[in-house]
Amino acid sequence: MKPLCFKLVRQPAFKVDLSSLTPDRLAGKSLAEIRRIKLAAPGQSLCVADLFEVTGRDTQNIQIRRCTHMVRNIGKGMLQGDIDVHGHAGDYLGRHMQGGRITVSGNAGDWVASGMLSGRIDISGDVGDYVAAASPDERYGMADGLVTIWGSAGDRVGDRMRRGQILVYKDAGDYTGSRMIAGTILVLGRCGHYTGYRMKRGTIILRGSNQHLSPGFSSCGYLKMEFLRLLFKQTAKMGRRFAFFRDFGPEVHRYAGDLSCEGKGEIFILQNARM
Amino acid sequence: MKINGVIIDDTFAEAFPMKATRIIITAMTLKWAYYAANSLTGFASSVIACGCEAAIERDLTPAETPDGRPGIAVIIFAMSTSQLQDQVTKRVGQSVMTTATSACFAGTHSDKQISLGKGLRYFGDGFQNSKVFNGVRYWRVPVMHGEFVCEETTGVVPAIGGGNFIVMAKTARHGLAACELAIKAIDRIHGAVTTFPGGVVGSGSKVGSKYSFMIASTNEAFCPTLKGQVSGSHLTEEIGSVLEIVINGLSEAAIKEAMHVGISAICKHGHDKGIYRISAGNYGGKLGPHHFHLREIMR
Repeated sequence: MKPLCFKLVRQPAFKVDLSSLTPDRLAGKSLAEIRRIKLAAPGQSLCVADLFEVTGRDTQNIQIRRCTHMVRNIGKGMLQGDIDVHGHAGDYLGRHMQGGRITVSGNAGDWVASGMLSGRIDISGDVGDYVAAASPDERYGMADGLVTIWGSAGDRVGDRMRRGQILVYKDAGDYTGSRMIAGTILVLGRCGHYTGYRMKRGTIILRGSNQHLSPGFSSCGYLKMEFLRLLFKQTAKMGRRFAFFRDFGPEVHRYAGDLSCEGKGEIFILQNARM
Repeated sequence: MKINGVIIDDTFAEAFPMKATRIIITAMTLKWAYYAANSLTGFASSVIACGCEAAIERDLTPAETPDGRPGIAVIIFAMSTSQLQDQVTKRVGQSVMTTATSACFAGTHSDKQISLGKGLRYFGDGFQNSKVFNGVRYWRVPVMHGEFVCEETTGVVPAIGGGNFIVMAKTARHGLAACELAIKAIDRIHGAVTTFPGGVVGSGSKVGSKYSFMIASTNEAFCPTLKGQVSGSHLTEEIGSVLEIVINGLSEAAIKEAMHVGISAICKHGHDKGIYRISAGNYGGKLGPHHFHLREIMR
């Protein structure tokens, strides 16, 4: 069965909410019904057919083509299935996502995976601020799942994240892992300032020396962390793109903190991570 | 039936259902993984008094273990899931966690789970934390050697205990030489283990005793020193030593294969080297539902 394909044929001049187009919400609907679905947009009354050319039948496998950063809330609260975004995605990609997988070939906006509960998001390009973070009215950010970003990320990656794993292949901005409650953030490039600020628990893994950590972190020395063998081996098994993790060793410079808030988190600076 | 001059009795081994789990122990080197596995499987020959039966199944290469270090697979058997839980927690806590550089992972996966690191994590006294990879939770307990990593749970699977065959030889020396070859062959079978010291039972038992406080006692019908003394002895004049190989397995097929390769190895050793007969222990079909007929297995 061919994937259900939404091709953007009219570039919106305003931000469009695509939260209604998830595999679970579209299951059992005909193409005509899908074309008539109303899309939320500020001051506009729109339906799917006004912006998208819709083809295909497989509602569990959705493609969004020619997508731009004006399209937000893609995969919001989705429970299952795949969404494949060709182009860029706007803010709130995968917000409160509960299962399934989202793939983006371009960049994504702010609040990617915010409040995510489960599932997987893969982004080939860069993302904005607040990846997997908690919105101001929420206690926790991402509660579980996996987010891989093959470009760079903005500030406050994993702010108040509760569980799950984030991989940033390039750089991350300031306050990475701020107020983190648990989970794992792996940044293979450089991090900005105040990494781990007011971190409670969890693990931030960095590659490369001279990283700027929050002042509340204390050195525990150079160690071999056995669980990293497990992490790297399991991650390397996730596909060819992750194969370089096989060459990573468990040798780290470990920092504990943020001691200014009695945090039991940790930051590892990898000592043996050839790429 | 005779193979290479060795008589195969027309009888069967009687085995009974058990619960089992496989755990994988890794360490910095295979030597240290072995120390942990050896300690864990110590005093675990029979459920009669040990609480469980356990043995090393095989060595694992780094490619086969979750953390990429050398490891050893161990199978632990018990009569019930609760008994298995009790034994796994005690043995992993006292034998694996105490071994330097060790880590411990589940080796069987099923819907029925028992705690592995779930209970042991409290040793971390609040400094422990967990990580979830691919839906599996692993506990990290800070310990003096560094960090003890342990999977949260391990799967419990139905298993079979008590597959066996009895080797009747001219002397203990003759019998042991053949049994060592059999154990070497059985060790290559995945999913089957021999839990007694060296894989060989030197004092096979019968159920019950003349003493009310004993649940098992010597099997006088197979004791060479009593063959002229007790009625119903199974031994003929030339037999001077009897050894039993008891096999536990995760499936009937694994036990059958283990019995086949074991008996074959002994028969290959042959009558000329002092091996006279192969028999098996059973209780007339009253003990367990799994019957392994020697002649069918060796056909």
